[in-house]
Amino acid sequence: MTSLVADDVAAASPPPASPRRRRSRLRLRSTLIGWSFILPNFLGFALLTLVPVVTLFYMSFTNWNVFGKADWIGLANFQRLLGDGSFRISVLNTLYYSVMHIPLTIVVSLGLALLLNNKLRGIAFFRTAAFFPYITSIVAIAVVWNLLFSPDYGPINQILRFIGFENPPGWLTSSEWAMPAVVIVSTWRDMGYYMILFLAGLQTVPRELHEAARVDGANVFQRFFNVTLPCLRPTMFFVTVMLTINSFKIFDLILVMTNGGPGQSTLVLSQFIYKKGFEESQFGYASAAAVALFLLCIVVTIVQFFWNKRRSY
Amino acid sequence: MKRKFAAAAGIAIVATLSLAACSGGSGDTPAAEESSGPVTLTLSGWSLETTPEFQTLADAFHEKNPDVTVELKEYDPANYNTLVTADLAAGVGPDIITQKEVKYVTTFQEGGQLLDVSDVKLPDGISGTSSYEVDGTSYGVPYRQDSWVLFYNKALFDQAGVDYPDGSWTWDDYDKAAAALTEGLSGAGSAAKGTYQHRWQSTVQGFANAQSKDGDILKGDYGYLKPYYERVLALQDAGYQVDFNTSSANQLTYQGEFGKQNAAMMPMGTWYVATLIAQQASGDADTFDWGIAPIPQLDEKTTGTDKTPVTFGDPTGFSINAGIDKAKVGAAKKFLEFAAGEDAAKALAAIGITPALLNDAVVETYFGVKGAPSDDLSKFAFSTHETRPENPTSSKTAAIQGILGDLHTAVMSGSDNIDNAIKTAEDRVKNEVGLD
Amino acid sequence: MTAIESPISRRQLEDVAEEQSPPPVDGKTLTPARRVARIVGYTVLVLAAVALLMPFFWMVMSSLKSANEVFSVPIKWFPETFVWSNYVEIWTESDMLTWIRNTLVLAVVVTFLQVLTGSFAAYGFAKMRFPGRDVLFLVYIGTIAVPWQSYMIPQFILLSNLKVSNTLWAIILIQAFGAFGVFLMKQYYETIPEELSEAARLDGLSEYAIWRRIMLPLSIPALASLTLLTFVNTWNDYLGPLIYLRSPDLWTIQLGLKSFVSNLYDTNYALLFAGLTISVIPIAVIFLLGQRFFIEGIATSGMKG
Repeated sequence: MTSLVADDVAAASPPPASPRRRRSRLRLRSTLIGWSFILPNFLGFALLTLVPVVTLFYMSFTNWNVFGKADWIGLANFQRLLGDGSFRISVLNTLYYSVMHIPLTIVVSLGLALLLNNKLRGIAFFRTAAFFPYITSIVAIAVVWNLLFSPDYGPINQILRFIGFENPPGWLTSSEWAMPAVVIVSTWRDMGYYMILFLAGLQTVPRELHEAARVDGANVFQRFFNVTLPCLRPTMFFVTVMLTINSFKIFDLILVMTNGGPGQSTLVLSQFIYKKGFEESQFGYASAAAVALFLLCIVVTIVQFFWNKRRSY
Repeated sequence: MKRKFAAAAGIAIVATLSLAACSGGSGDTPAAEESSGPVTLTLSGWSLETTPEFQTLADAFHEKNPDVTVELKEYDPANYNTLVTADLAAGVGPDIITQKEVKYVTTFQEGGQLLDVSDVKLPDGISGTSSYEVDGTSYGVPYRQDSWVLFYNKALFDQAGVDYPDGSWTWDDYDKAAAALTEGLSGAGSAAKGTYQHRWQSTVQGFANAQSKDGDILKGDYGYLKPYYERVLALQDAGYQVDFNTSSANQLTYQGEFGKQNAAMMPMGTWYVATLIAQQASGDADTFDWGIAPIPQLDEKTTGTDKTPVTFGDPTGFSINAGIDKAKVGAAKKFLEFAAGEDAAKALAAIGITPALLNDAVVETYFGVKGAPSDDLSKFAFSTHETRPENPTSSKTAAIQGILGDLHTAVMSGSDNIDNAIKTAEDRVKNEVGLD
Repeated sequence: MTAIESPISRRQLEDVAEEQSPPPVDGKTLTPARRVARIVGYTVLVLAAVALLMPFFWMVMSSLKSANEVFSVPIKWFPETFVWSNYVEIWTESDMLTWIRNTLVLAVVVTFLQVLTGSFAAYGFAKMRFPGRDVLFLVYIGTIAVPWQSYMIPQFILLSNLKVSNTLWAIILIQAFGAFGVFLMKQYYETIPEELSEAARLDGLSEYAIWRRIMLPLSIPALASLTLLTFVNTWNDYLGPLIYLRSPDLWTIQLGLKSFVSNLYDTNYALLFAGLTISVIPIAVIFLLGQRFFIEGIATSGMKG
């Protein structure tokens, strides 16, 4: 057809709903329906979380003293952060903690989930046992682990000496070993929590795929890597993102176990923010540090987001 | 589109919040007439069930002024300042703010939350007033002033065959006694140690700051801490007191260590007197004879019962909320004057609180309580001392104390040596707080 | 790709799952090697359980000690005399029943709202396409990245101005609309193949019906996890109620306990642990009984690929 004819045809009758307009109407409908699903949660979220968070971000550019004074000072807080030795230490400690904690927790909780994802007798008891650290009082956890890690009397060092280490680490009393000790306790505490999430995810792995693979002669490892893991991808993404953010934000366990010490060897970013705000009343500065924590999390999350998207089929 | 809307809404809300938070003090009606009818004042307190001092003051004041009722608002003691700050920020703070820690006075004052109370009449000889003065204006009134003294267990001293403290001790005498006690007690078959030092930074730094010639934390030079830490580390290494790491790992409580006779001596604040009496009565602490002595001094210049020993401590006081209803200001100021006065001091002494005003009548009341030590040295230690502030009143105090707290944990745990730790602290103060 | 002709009923899926589940381990068919492996496996599990439960055991034992006995050198695993009166004291002298009631109300309401609105919103994020969807989702996740203590004061001022501070509503509002539930359910919905919904759509079902009749039943393990974790977090939450619930008749268990056992310089840890032990029991029971919901998945047989 030549364009002339097309024009005639177009002029002769009112154009039927062109594909483009149909698509845009569909999109509008999709948008409206999508929003209707999101709205109940989003309204509450926007008002009660988003607004205070935006306020916080605004305050990071001021010299807010929490009592109404909030004069704009631009990037002064952020410049001060860059030169602040304690801030640098807290960021390094947070990264150090996270780099150790995240892979360890994933491996242990996934292992637990795989181990306990069966119908053996009494398995419910073991799953509950795995969850107990998460629901035990954090004070009790801190005390018992402090005792276990006691350099002279604690069982851990006694065992280490028994198997030949003459100078076992000072754990929570030494600035080099305090953070690894905290990581161990933190992983012990979190594994039940993430085990539950992995358990839920493992239910989406279709059993016939496993059967088919077994029939094809695949062993346990091959089945794990080629069937279980790919099916677990959405759950793994969720766990990784949540674990990362929670690791960057770690606060209460450190507060109770070491309070940032000895010295500043376990000072983490959340604690730095809390100190600056509630102990030294520099709320504008603390807000800037909170923005820094947020940026750190967001950058890593975005990287994980794209990594996840890329691997989707 | 959505993003712009969200941002605009955000800024609008921020503006509203800032305005709402600014509600303190502005826009009040210019009435200024004293209300003659009944007035209710709210006062912030903590652990009301187990801390009777607030109710005692409220009741005693109400007796004298029947048309004023003081209503107590309860706050969690461990997070007191955070909660009061949140309330003040939202404009729902109490009329009378109890200043639990001197560190936060400047925060409230610089935030415009405190009323000028320079015109409240205070009795002579009351201690702790300087903690509430900023630039010559007084923003608060002390009602209670604890000081640090030396608690000692007479029964354990007898068992070890060591003489009681007599008020003339320097820190060298204290170290010798700790050694003699530990050895004597172990010889007598007891596992108790000579002394117990709690984990707070104040147990070392408080004395260093108060007794050293240049002990001012705001100056930024901390060399004066070294001798005090060396002494304490020596005690720890020799085994005359439980070491810091063991104390932390086992979360030892000072009430448990002294009350269950695990240590013969303990430097602690005078607030512990009331606790010990109550615990001995309830059975949570063992029954034994004990007393308090003046804290060991740096040198002979201030030792002996004819001199005035130097110790440290911070007052607890009341301030008035700057956003208070103008008609209530008179009543509030009357309450402050009452709380600092002799009647209130006697009422507090009767329940074991150390008031800021310590005259003879008050001391007699304090030691008249059943279970209190009755010897003269205890009365001397309680009533005669020069108490220097633990926390100077400055906006830099909180930050500096934080840095010094890190020094304390580093040195006491053995993860850093004292010279390094001092240098780190001095650098950090320069870098993070700034000296003028 | 095969398309299903009618919306699948839960019953049908259950049948399929039953066919496919592995046969239960049968004692009679164990070879000696297998039996040894079994015993070793159980031993490892028991040792692991001991390691996991040790602090809890210490806590329960400490709840039966007298106050000054709890912390000592060296650590005492068993009390010298069993002080059962700690538990009696908690029940009779404190306001435990009020606290339990408040905590229960909060936990149930928050969990219900979080699960409902979260899974509802997650469907929108997972299955619907509209402009700005991904950015909005990132905003959700972004707010999780900000520590709550940082924006606690602006939030407090906001809720005070809305006059809900010092009411249970404050806690419900700040906890019920979090991003965590949305995130969790969205990931789970993504594992549910699109063909199921497409077939349903062809049959004329609205999106809401698809969510209710297909998504919800298929995501029971995730819903169970979300319910449990939200319940536990609300039950154990301390800082939120600390800031917002000031009147003693609004206190939750954690708040009430802390206040009951402490004064300024001192905390009676034996009493505190007694209260905390009482507080842990409902959660342990719920978890033990609700186990099967995590594991009772419905296999989506043959739909993937």
